[in-house]
Amino acid sequence: MKLLRFLAQEMTQADLGRRVGLTRQTIAAIEQGRYSPSLDVAFRIADVFGKRIDEVFHWRRDAEGAQHAATAAK
Amino acid sequence: MPILEKRAWLTLWTMCPVYLVYFLIQATYPQLTPTYLSRFGLLAIVAGLHAVGYIAGELVMRRQNRGEPLDRDERDRAIDASATRSAYFLLLTGMIVVGMVMPFTDSGWKVVNSALLFIVLAETLRVLLTLRGYHPRVAG
Repeated sequence: MKLLRFLAQEMTQADLGRRVGLTRQTIAAIEQGRYSPSLDVAFRIADVFGKRIDEVFHWRRDAEGAQHAATAAK
Repeated sequence: MPILEKRAWLTLWTMCPVYLVYFLIQATYPQLTPTYLSRFGLLAIVAGLHAVGYIAGELVMRRQNRGEPLDRDERDRAIDASATRSAYFLLLTGMIVVGMVMPFTDSGWKVVNSALLFIVLAETLRVLLTLRGYHPRVAG
């Protein structure tokens, strides 16, 4: 997502947050993999970049395989 | 720092010290407040200090806010809901003890202070879980 922001005229986290209705801190948390956004927000973020949702986010299984997380593609 | 996290810190720093002093006085020096009126007076002072501290902190926070939105987003709401759910069960347990058990074993100010203690504990738990929600790796 950082790369996508950079490619989108160096959009800031605050700008992206404003466009999708999130705070800058939540955008930072998504980029750092500390928060998995709702499907609605994930679609909105992908829409801002003009991408499909699977081009922005990917699903991964953690080491124990106990938890699943949707994280922002770096 | 998200607005909800700032408010959680503000609640922690304004509520815990004043109620800690209140419960210490009630537990160790009950003779300082011998009458009902003096006990209500102490409680009013403590609640007033908490309210004034919180309002002053909120005003300072808003003044220092650098264009950050004051609304909560979905992450804030998720953290708040999770913390509130846990605190609710503590409060529920406390109210069962205070309202259904203590009337048969204790009376008067002990019941009042126990109810107040459970409210403060539940609110403290909610605040701590909110802070943990923003720093899951730091707080375990």
